Amino acid sequence: MLGSGFDLSPALPEAFLFVAGLALLAVAAWRERQANGFTLPLVALSFLVAALLLLGRDPTPTLAFDGHFVADGFANFVKVLILLAAAGSLLLAPAWLSDEGVERFEFPLLALFSTLGMAMMVSANSLLALYMALELHSLPLYVLAAFKRDEIRATEAGLKYFVLGALASGLLLYGCSLVYGFTGTLRFDVLASTFAGKGGAVLPLGAIVGLVFVVAGLAFKLAAVPFHMWTPDVYEGAPTPVTAFLTAAPKLAAFALLLRLLFQPFATYVDEWQQVVILVAVASMLLGAFAAIGQSNIKRLMAYSSIGHVGYALVGVAAGTGEGVHAVLVYLGIYLVMSIGTFGCILMMRRQGRYVEAIQDLAGLSRSRPLMALALALFMFSLAGIPPLAGFFGKLYVFLAAIRADLVWLAVVGVLTSVIGAFYYLRIVKIMYFDEPAESFDPLPRPGLGLVVAATAVLVAGFPLLPGPLVESAQAAARSLLGS
Amino acid sequence: MSELFVGTIWPLFELVLLTLLIVVPLLLAVAYLTYAERKIIAAMQLRQGPMFVGPYGLLQPLADGLKLLFKETVIPTRANKGVFVAAPIVTFVLALVGWAVIPFGPGLVLADINVGVLYLFAVSSLGVYGIVMAGWASNSRYAFLGALRSSAQMVSYEIAIGLVIISVLISAGSLNLSEIVEAQARHGWYVLWHFPMFMIFLVSILAETNRHPFDLPEDEASLVTGYNVEYSSMAFALFFLGEYANMILMSAICSILFLGGWLPPLDIAPFTWIPGPVWFALKISAILFVYIWARATLPRYRYDQLMRLGWKVFLPAALLWIVVTSGAMVALDLLPK
Amino acid sequence: MTIALFVFYVFALVTTASAVMVIAARNPVHSVLFLILAFVSSAGLFVLLGAEFLAMVLVVVYVGAVAVLFLFVVMMLDIDFVQLREGFLQYLPVGALVGLVLLVELALVFGTQAVETAAVDMPPTAPPGVTNTEALGSLLYTRYFYLFQTAGAILLVAIVGAITLTLRHRPDAKRQDISRQVHRRPSDTLEVRKVRPRSGI
Repeated sequence: MLGSGFDLSPALPEAFLFVAGLALLAVAAWRERQANGFTLPLVALSFLVAALLLLGRDPTPTLAFDGHFVADGFANFVKVLILLAAAGSLLLAPAWLSDEGVERFEFPLLALFSTLGMAMMVSANSLLALYMALELHSLPLYVLAAFKRDEIRATEAGLKYFVLGALASGLLLYGCSLVYGFTGTLRFDVLASTFAGKGGAVLPLGAIVGLVFVVAGLAFKLAAVPFHMWTPDVYEGAPTPVTAFLTAAPKLAAFALLLRLLFQPFATYVDEWQQVVILVAVASMLLGAFAAIGQSNIKRLMAYSSIGHVGYALVGVAAGTGEGVHAVLVYLGIYLVMSIGTFGCILMMRRQGRYVEAIQDLAGLSRSRPLMALALALFMFSLAGIPPLAGFFGKLYVFLAAIRADLVWLAVVGVLTSVIGAFYYLRIVKIMYFDEPAESFDPLPRPGLGLVVAATAVLVAGFPLLPGPLVESAQAAARSLLGS
Repeated sequence: MSELFVGTIWPLFELVLLTLLIVVPLLLAVAYLTYAERKIIAAMQLRQGPMFVGPYGLLQPLADGLKLLFKETVIPTRANKGVFVAAPIVTFVLALVGWAVIPFGPGLVLADINVGVLYLFAVSSLGVYGIVMAGWASNSRYAFLGALRSSAQMVSYEIAIGLVIISVLISAGSLNLSEIVEAQARHGWYVLWHFPMFMIFLVSILAETNRHPFDLPEDEASLVTGYNVEYSSMAFALFFLGEYANMILMSAICSILFLGGWLPPLDIAPFTWIPGPVWFALKISAILFVYIWARATLPRYRYDQLMRLGWKVFLPAALLWIVVTSGAMVALDLLPK
Repeated sequence: MTIALFVFYVFALVTTASAVMVIAARNPVHSVLFLILAFVSSAGLFVLLGAEFLAMVLVVVYVGAVAVLFLFVVMMLDIDFVQLREGFLQYLPVGALVGLVLLVELALVFGTQAVETAAVDMPPTAPPGVTNTEALGSLLYTRYFYLFQTAGAILLVAIVGAITLTLRHRPDAKRQDISRQVHRRPSDTLEVRKVRPRSGI
């Protein structure tokens, strides 16, 4: 009765997360009062347990559930990063939730199900699994964006995100159906072997159209230009811890899905998709560099910054080589740490019991809160890509990969936009260190936030001293993805 | 020519004949169900009930029917005419079409389809439209409120009924109603194995047919009879017939799923002399008696209590029972095939 | 055969006609009712195809549950379609133009190439003797178990999300606590006193 199709072991971390989520949901539904407090740490703990379950797993690809699910070295690496990022951004939330009076158990549980969806995205091995996992990951995010339901900005953000997200899902599903219709299979590995067997014969036009639709849907989830319109409004309107969550793990999951799709089934057709990715990358870098300059709200600024960073990471994808994949993974690993740290600092911007978001509120921070100013300055330098910090190395890997793939002009565009982008990052540093002090911020109520910010700051500053773990495991993951 | 007759016309004719064979006795049964209801309630309340039309009032239902037939049909001016007229017809027709798959005895069934249970479920889920259409088309507040109540109630209890049925289906291993009955010949009646589900089903069909104590859609005290308040004469009669035909249909489903359909209680001599359809009719009558009994004895539920019972008691209980049933069947290796 | 053909044409005609009426009806409630008719008659078409399980599920799910809620919303909202359609003629040329361009483009894209499908063999249809309920079930719970379970998780999240965004606990609402009612004893609230005549309590 229970045949080989039911071997759960390749999906053990996902199964664990799912069961943990169900159990916590059941407990929380019965013990609502107490659950509001203890659910969040437990969810973060279950992320860490799931990450531990992933460590030291066999990197050889194992299929499960009739080929809809694959566990390989690439998936393991990305999942560990996703889980750590999700746990990190979740730990930023408790102080904000209790200050704003929305400390409810649904918040961490929705984050858990979203993270489960991300892990499943990374392991998706068929078009259908891709779509389902993507929905499981984005549905909770829509709700989270509107979590502060009595605030009009948050509900607007949630609604906007939902409507546009549904549109993107539609595009993606349409693309999936075209690819399926023109190839007759849903599975990535079968697609790959069919294409390889044809020896680079021309892809049916319908499948190309489908692929473009799928990439467009994913570009929406990545917030890459021209599918970025929702980003600034959603980032600004959503509660700050949700924005922190949005910038970190989901980006990585969507990138992993894109990488798997382009480098496994469609690896034979690099020429077909490379131009699309290059176009999106250039547009994203340019928009990220120019549109952020005029912003006065720091969350909005981070939205444009994230669009720019997606553009840089896409440069690595556009390279179309194993080196490019490696560079993307390193870049995203570093970006996760920087963005979580930055949002940790934003969550410390609390004045007389109210959270503030204007960049001018940071004026003279170096005098009232030197440590926070130092950490934020570190993140800004790193986001701008100033040499000894982690962000510089991320960009270096990506641009090198582009140059080796004969895309020198793309790397040049990347460097130029980085220089332009550095302007607004450095402006924040200038405001913190050289402007007249504004009123000082409230002291931190709980140590959790400070700890996360300190840890990320140490990682960003210390990366050049110990780049090994990230760079080498990313290398192994890239190799596992390309199957060489 | 003869080929056309044998191939096309005769089967159609046969179908019409068989349909009439079901519908006519059914309408008669409906008529006498109303008589039985009045008599039984009267007995329970120490009254006599209808006594004057015919011996013991036996012709009373016919007189009532004739009266309704000859009254003038009133259509309110502001009503949405087409929908207003269609609503009672929909209700009445839906109460009849369910009978197509009911097996009256071994092989005695109009359409022996594989998904008989689902068919009945689909037909009963359509039933709500007659009421909603009536409530809306009447353009009257009481009618609309009644329709709202009724459809919320029917949709809620349908879920409980659906889950209850699943337990039976797992045990029988088929969606075909005849096979479900035959499975009970082997396993024993499912009322023994699934007694709690039988109780839930019995209560749910009261709610599903909008009968006492769940007759909130027709709550005279607050809604002046609810969705059908604007209807008169034959249109009203169709609602009335539909409601009672639905009661009989639900009782039939209940006796097929839980009481072994046409099977005798024990497979030994004196019981087996009585033919299957008679047993079936007796079982249906027993359940109908419960309907009437409930009407005579129980006070009406409050609306929030009704919803609470459906969603918070029946739904989880039925779900739990599915888990228990399937768990037990897997553990004891009882699964069909 | 002839009966089946006749029935097919009846159902097909009713489906198409009611689909047209969904758009053409002036009253939105009529539109929904025609939509329901279209659902029911397409269920009939499913039966003719031999997919009786899908037919019944279509009726139970779409007609019995989804369309009821739909009908409610439409009935309660009291939408004035005539008003909504006011700008219709004004935008008609633009819309038609966009549609035409899309159509031509699609024709150009797909017309130039023969449609090439089936890189791998299509899965076989159900073996004879297996009802389609069984065939569907055995696929859904084995080969597509993972996706089925994921769909369940998505629906769970949808429920949790909807409750999170809309449920408000009203502290002033009076709720029934059944177990408290049942466990109430006369001694908790009732005090029996002997009252002497003409003295009061």
